[in-house]
Amino acid sequence: MSLFGLFQISGSALAAERLRAEVATSNLANAETTRTPEGGPYHRRMVTFTSQPGSQFHLLLANSLAAEGGAGGVRVAGVVEDPTPPQRRYEPGHPDADADGYVSYPAINPLQEMVDLMGAERAYELNASAVQAAKQMIQQSLQILK
Amino acid sequence: MSLVDSSLISLLVRALDLTAQRQQLVAQNIANVDTPGYHTRDIDFRGELQRALWAGQADPAAGGAPFVREVPGLIERPDGNNVSIDRESLLMAGDQLQFQTEAALLRSEFSRLQEAISGGGGQ
Repeated sequence: MSLFGLFQISGSALAAERLRAEVATSNLANAETTRTPEGGPYHRRMVTFTSQPGSQFHLLLANSLAAEGGAGGVRVAGVVEDPTPPQRRYEPGHPDADADGYVSYPAINPLQEMVDLMGAERAYELNASAVQAAKQMIQQSLQILK
Repeated sequence: MSLVDSSLISLLVRALDLTAQRQQLVAQNIANVDTPGYHTRDIDFRGELQRALWAGQADPAAGGAPFVREVPGLIERPDGNNVSIDRESLLMAGDQLQFQTEAALLRSEFSRLQEAISGGGGQ
């Protein structure tokens, strides 16, 4: 049966939420970064999620083949850059200032990142408790054997 | 109907199967709590069990895949997602207890069988 499929579903979400938290942390860490290998200031990054195909068809297939895998978890579709233009601050003495004396700083709002971080943390917790539930159910079904 | 394949046992097995499948859907809903455009999915547990019961009378192996549907009446967020964390947490806890109950019932049924095989025990 598909009890072990629960781990795959919740596991995919744990990985996705962790990446989201990592990206939010990286945005916070680079809130003042004016230099990147690609040139220019750091750009805020965002994680986009998409659901894995795990609908009717999967259940039908799993039932007929008694197969695991392909569970309908979540997938990270990609990490995209926020197209918001950088903030320009007048700092003529700054080494990265342009000809007019303006420095381009990444357009990052720490509050927004903190809220995102908290959301990722809570979602991670929720999925971890789903894993806990799956573990208990498997243990209970093992008890039938005793 | 053989000794170890009574209608109660096959009903309990079907119920365990359905509970596990429902838990999988709950896990899927929880996993997609932040996926834009995702809609909550669920199965009609009672209806599916009823269906399995009726199907079981004709063919004990019948049952088939449960029908997964989108849950109506949930509030959709601006990103098109309508997963309610409260609903899913409650369902997760409830399903867990339900699974525990079904497993315990199945176990007691097997131990009753064991008792019958050993001739009432104690001799």
